Amino acid sequence: MRNCALLYWPIPVSSPSRSVTLLVWLYFRCLPLLAAATIVFSVLSASVVQSAQEMNEQVSAQGQGAGHLLLHSAGSTPIAALATETRVHFDISGLVAVVELEQTFINTSTQWAEGVYGFPLPGTAAVRYMEMTVGDRRVIGKVRERQEARKRYEKAKQAGKKASLVEQQRPNLFTSRIANIAPGERVTVKLEYVQSVDYRAGEFSLRFPMTLTPRYIPGEPVSIDAEMAQTQQIDPVQGWGLPTDQVVDANRITPYVAPHRDPGESPLNPAVITASLDMGLPLAEVSSLYHEVRLQRDEQRYSVELVGGVTEMDRDFVLHWRPVVGGQPKVALFTEEVDDQHYGLLMVLPPIRSETRVKMPREVIFVVDTSGSMGGVAIDQAKLSVSKALQRLGRDDYFNIIEFNSTHRKLYQRPMRATRHYVQRAQEFVRQLQASGGTEMMPALLDALHSPAVESSDNPAVAEHLRQIIFITDGAVGNESALYNEIAARLGDSRLFTVGIGSAPNSWFMRKAADIGRGTHTHIGATDEVGQKMDHLLSQLQQPAMIDIAVSWQDSVESWPEFVPDLYAQEPVILALRFGDAPPVGELEVTGTRAGQSWKQVVSLPDSNAPAAEPNPIAGHSGVASLWARRKIEGLLDQKVLGADPDQIKAQVLDVALTHQLLSPYTSFVAIEEIVVRPDGSGLHRSAVPNSAPHGQAAQVFAYPRTATTGPARLYLGLLLLFVVLMARVMRQEGRDA
Amino acid sequence: MPSLPKVENWRDVLALCLVLLGLQQIGSAGLIKAKAAVAPLLIDRAWARSLESSERPIKPWPWADTWPVGKLQVPSVAINLPVLYGDSGNVLAFGPGYSPRSSLPGGVGLTVISGHRDTHFAPLADVAVDEMVRLEGFDGAQRLFRVSNIRVVNAHSEQINIGDADSGLLLVTCYPFDALSANGPLRYVVFAEPLMSESNLSQVRESYPF
Repeated sequence: MRNCALLYWPIPVSSPSRSVTLLVWLYFRCLPLLAAATIVFSVLSASVVQSAQEMNEQVSAQGQGAGHLLLHSAGSTPIAALATETRVHFDISGLVAVVELEQTFINTSTQWAEGVYGFPLPGTAAVRYMEMTVGDRRVIGKVRERQEARKRYEKAKQAGKKASLVEQQRPNLFTSRIANIAPGERVTVKLEYVQSVDYRAGEFSLRFPMTLTPRYIPGEPVSIDAEMAQTQQIDPVQGWGLPTDQVVDANRITPYVAPHRDPGESPLNPAVITASLDMGLPLAEVSSLYHEVRLQRDEQRYSVELVGGVTEMDRDFVLHWRPVVGGQPKVALFTEEVDDQHYGLLMVLPPIRSETRVKMPREVIFVVDTSGSMGGVAIDQAKLSVSKALQRLGRDDYFNIIEFNSTHRKLYQRPMRATRHYVQRAQEFVRQLQASGGTEMMPALLDALHSPAVESSDNPAVAEHLRQIIFITDGAVGNESALYNEIAARLGDSRLFTVGIGSAPNSWFMRKAADIGRGTHTHIGATDEVGQKMDHLLSQLQQPAMIDIAVSWQDSVESWPEFVPDLYAQEPVILALRFGDAPPVGELEVTGTRAGQSWKQVVSLPDSNAPAAEPNPIAGHSGVASLWARRKIEGLLDQKVLGADPDQIKAQVLDVALTHQLLSPYTSFVAIEEIVVRPDGSGLHRSAVPNSAPHGQAAQVFAYPRTATTGPARLYLGLLLLFVVLMARVMRQEGRDA
Repeated sequence: MPSLPKVENWRDVLALCLVLLGLQQIGSAGLIKAKAAVAPLLIDRAWARSLESSERPIKPWPWADTWPVGKLQVPSVAINLPVLYGDSGNVLAFGPGYSPRSSLPGGVGLTVISGHRDTHFAPLADVAVDEMVRLEGFDGAQRLFRVSNIRVVNAHSEQINIGDADSGLLLVTCYPFDALSANGPLRYVVFAEPLMSESNLSQVRESYPF
C-alpha cells in the first residue's frame, strides 16, 4: 500500500487536465493492477502456509506412530554401559565427621569399558584416602601431582592395566575414572574424607550432595591453544561443555545428568547410606531432612540407616541433630597428634543477645535466580522466600528486587521505601517470575553490589544505612572464581547473604560467596522449609554481627582461616589449628565486637591428662589434622582471590596436599594394578556415568533456533516489483494505442 | 516559477525506483545464496587445517565469529558440510550450526545441529527413516547415526528438551521448505540415533561406503 501513497503524492500539479488524466489512470489502471497483484501474492503465500499445516499434521501423526517405535527398536546400543552403586557411611564424633564413600562400577556391556563419573562432594571435604577393589584384590591409591597422576593413569589404561584416577575439578566436584573394566565385572573405588560438622542456631547438621544441577557456562567459546589442547582435551565422555573465555575448564565441570525417571522405576544410581553419631552429649532429636531414616540408640551413640535400605541419588542427604535444651556446647576443642605435630579444631560460641537489634535503617536488595535450572520446585521455593522476606520488611527499610536469567531486570530503578504500596507491587512482580534461560549471574551481582545511594531527599537520615543483599539461587554456574573476585573487589559496606535453593544446589558457591560477602548462607531444599529458614535468616539480618574477632595465640600456633569471618546470631567461631610439636596448654582469649560492645572469652585449654570442665573436648580425634590441612588449602586458595601470586600459592598448596596426602586442585589420587588384564586387540569402550536428575527439577529446554533465511521472500518481492512495473508499462502502452 | 517535472517523468522515476528496489531484493537474495554456497568451501579448508594441527579452533576467515567444530554427512541426500559453532542467525548464514547448549556428540543426551531450510538443510526434505548420518569431529572421533524419527514441531509451543531426550543427533530446519516467511513457527526435526561405537566403525564403513 506504500506504493499507492507514493502515487497520490504528485497530485498538486500545474495543469488541471493532466492531473485528471493521471487520476483516471491511477484509479482505473494502476490501482486494480496493484490490488490484483497483492491478492495473487497473498493467496500464493497463504496456500503455502495452509498446505504446510496440513502436512504438519500428517507428518507428526506419522512421527508418533512409526518413528517412536523405531526409537526403541533393536540394534540401538544402550547409553549407559556402566551401572553404579554407592555406599556412604558417616562416622560422626563431636564436630568431626569421617566419611567412607564406595562407588562400585558394574560393566553391563559385552565390551571392555572405561568409566568416567563426575560427582559432587561437600565443598569442605578433605579427601585423604583412596583404594580400588576388584574382586578380592585391593590397590591403594597414591596422591600425585595432577599431571603426573593423569599421565600414569593414561599409560596404565593404554597398557590394558586396571587403573583408577580421582581428580578435583572444583572443591565440591570430582571426577572418577576407572580403566579396563572387563565385561560383567565390578570395580569399586573407595574414598575417605573428613569434614567438620555444621553447627548453627544450636543445631548440628551434615550435608552430603548426591547429584548436581548442571552448571551454566557463561562467556564466548575460546580458541584452544596447543597447551590447552594437551592439558584439557575436549572429552565428550567427561562433560557436555566447551571451554569459554570465562570458564576455561568447562568440559571438566559439566558431567552428564540423566533424564528424569518415573517414580516407579528402580533407582538409576542407588545409594545405601548409614551413619553412626556420637556427640558425647545427650541429644533431643536426630533426623534426616529429605530421606526417611531409622534410628538405633546405644547410650549416647546413635546409628542411622535408610528406611528401605536404598535411595535414588537425586538430592542432598542432610542429617540434622540437636542437643537437649541447655546442652548446647559453648566451647569445644578436638585434637589429634600426627607425626609429632599437634592439631586442633576449636569451636567457641559467643553468647546470644537477642535483645540487641539493628537501629540503622536497612536497604535490602533481593537478587533472584530465574534461570532455566531453577525450573520446577526451585522457582516456587525462591518466590516464596522473597515473598516471606518482603512481609518482614520494616516501614523504614528500603528494598529492591533484581531477577536474572540470560539478562537481568530490576523491579525499581532505585531502592524504594517498604511502604504497603511498593511492597504490594513487589509481591505482584514476584508472583509473575518464571524460570527460563541462562544464568548470567555476573551482571546481576554487579548491579546489586553497585549501590546507587538511596534517595535521601525524603529522609536525610537514610544516608547512613545497612546494605544487605539477599541472593537466592541454585548456584549452578561455572564461573565461581570470577564471581568471588568481583564480590571481594566491590563489596564495600554491603553484606551478601546467600540462599541456596533446590534439591542439588552448588553449596560450595553459597558458602564461599557468603564468606567473602561477609554474610551467611542458608539452604532451602523443600517448600515447607521456606518459612522457618527465612525467619531465621531475617532475624540474623536484624541483629548486629560480631566483628573484629581475634584469638590470642602463641607465635607457634598456625590458625586457619587466617582472619575469623564476621559472625551472625548463633554462629560459632570455628578454627583449625596447628600447635606445633608441643600439646596445647594454658589459656587463650577470644575477643570481638558487637554493636560497639566488646566481647571477650577465655578458653582454658585442656591439660593432656585432665579433661576440662566445659562439655568435654574429646582428645585424640582422628581427622583433625586432615581438616587443618584442608582449611589451610582453602585459605591459601582464597588468597588467590585477593590477588596473591598463583604460582606461589600452587607451590604452597602442593606442599600441604602432598604432606597430608589430600586431594586438591593440584593433586589427584591414582591407583594402578600392575597386571595387564585387557587382551591385545580388544577395544576399550568409553562410557560416561550420568548423575541422577535433581529431584523436582523441571526438564531442561531451550528454544528451537531460527532456521530460514529471508532469501526466498526477497526473491519473490523483487520479482513481484519487476512484474508490477512491467505490467504498468504494458497497460500504458495499450492506453496510448487506444 | 519552479518547473515541476512532467507526469510521464514521474511515472518513469517511479518505475525506475520500483525496478531498482526489485533488483536490490533479488540481489540480496542472491547474496544470501552465494554466502551459503561459498562459505562452506572456506570453512572446509579451516576444518581440514584444524584436523591436522591439534590447535582448535581455526577460524575460516579472520573476522569470523564462528569456526568449524565438525563435519556432517548425509550421503543419501548429498549433504556434506562442515558444522559451525553456534546456532544464531549470523552463524547459520554460513553453514549448519551446533547448539552450544546441547550435548557433545558421543556424550549422553542430544546433539543439536540446525541449518537453514532454503540453503544448507534444504536436502533434509528428502531424508528418510533408516538412512545413515555421519558426524566427524568435535573430539576428532567419527560417529555414525541412523535416522529413526522425522517430525514437524511447532517451535512456539514446543522447545528442545535436552534433559529428557534419548541420546542422539537432532537435525533441525524450518518447515515448510518452500514457505516465504522466515519467521514461521514450524520446524522439521530429524532425529538420528547413535548406531555404533567408534571401535566398530571400521566394519560399518565397509558396508556403507562414504
